[in-house]
Amino acid sequence: MQCDDLAPRVLDYLAGTLPDDELAAIRAHLTQCPACREEMDTTAELWGELGTVAAPRPDSARMRARFDAALQGYMDGQNEPVVRAVARPPAWRLQPWMQLAGAAAVLVIGVGLGRVLTLAPSSSPEIAELRQELRDTRQMVTLSLLQQQSASERLKGVSSSSQLEQPGSEVVSALVETLRHDPNVNVRLASVDALRRFGGRDGVRRDVVAALPQQESPLVQIALIDFLLEAQGPEAASVLRRLADDMMLDKAVRDRAARGLRQVGL
Amino acid sequence: MRAVRDGDLTRLGVLFERHHRALFDFLYRMTGDRGAAEDLVQDVFVRMLRYRATYRDDGRFETWMFRIARNARADHFRKQGAAVYVPEDGMDWASDAPGPARLLERARDMARLKRALQALREDRRELIVLVRYQGMTHEQVGAILGVDAGTVKVRFHRAIKELRAAFAGVAEGD
Repeated sequence: MQCDDLAPRVLDYLAGTLPDDELAAIRAHLTQCPACREEMDTTAELWGELGTVAAPRPDSARMRARFDAALQGYMDGQNEPVVRAVARPPAWRLQPWMQLAGAAAVLVIGVGLGRVLTLAPSSSPEIAELRQELRDTRQMVTLSLLQQQSASERLKGVSSSSQLEQPGSEVVSALVETLRHDPNVNVRLASVDALRRFGGRDGVRRDVVAALPQQESPLVQIALIDFLLEAQGPEAASVLRRLADDMMLDKAVRDRAARGLRQVGL
Repeated sequence: MRAVRDGDLTRLGVLFERHHRALFDFLYRMTGDRGAAEDLVQDVFVRMLRYRATYRDDGRFETWMFRIARNARADHFRKQGAAVYVPEDGMDWASDAPGPARLLERARDMARLKRALQALREDRRELIVLVRYQGMTHEQVGAILGVDAGTVKVRFHRAIKELRAAFAGVAEGD
């Protein structure tokens, strides 16, 4: 055995998983080569020392409680599609011709709108139709931004949703999905803000309450408390009471919930 | 995991009980931050739920789980702006060291070793953590990292060499 043959065997040597013949060959080499012997001795000593560096024990009870809450929350709100082996983006993102068609549609609408506005200043069915198409296009752009990989693009999507005059239910659902599953805290916070104008809708409030157990960021939790207070739905008091009493939550969140309860007169 | 994948989500509780300590240990040693490690364990199990359909019977469950854990940790570092947490000597690494006269010297060595480990490149540290603390073979580590066992052996040798150098450097700096 040569010095170079030692490198790929260090792991097995340390772990004691070398076959007998290889172990004997290494030992024979080490008796003849002081440099390798010293290196191996130092490595073995370090390896032994590493074994004494213990990590703290996890707080299993607390973690289990959080896990159970997250699992329950997931099962309660399980209308989300399970991510398949290969996540499929929407068909229009896979098909370049659809993207081109979208761009062309925007162009046609723009040119058409310009012409109609020039030729027919008064309101007409054509203008109404074009405005509707423009709204649809903007909505499509918003939805596509919300599905982008980049967090800043998704933030643009949330912001764009706020500029839609009459966002459809698809946009509202996409915002709720963003709140529930976006990995980025800033995007989730922005989605809470964007959902505020729909706080009067029972379904939206229900979705927001269902999304609460999934939120681990105190910032988002506090934003959701503000949402519920502003929306003044009938469920606010019970949800706030639950949050105020939940010792697993950050103190700032519990305090905000308690203050909210006082705000609603409880 | 098969049962979870096929719809019995409550069975994930069994997997949590069985594996959360190993995951916590791995993630703690990689982040050096107890709170972050606990959050990441939670994140790993939530991802298991979301991505359960991607679980295949042909591999070990631990391989799949540690791949998810690596991704969760990488996302965590991305969110933190790639800030690497370097532990201070007094951080809450538990110690099994006995208490007589040699304690002080041993504690110093331990602190140096922790600093040396944290000073390693992340991929090197990961390799050492998986082998030393998770007791994995090079084949298992290779399956998690997506490389063959031979590559793991070579990388491991480099990692341990760098750890030796880092340990010596830290000791000199004291």
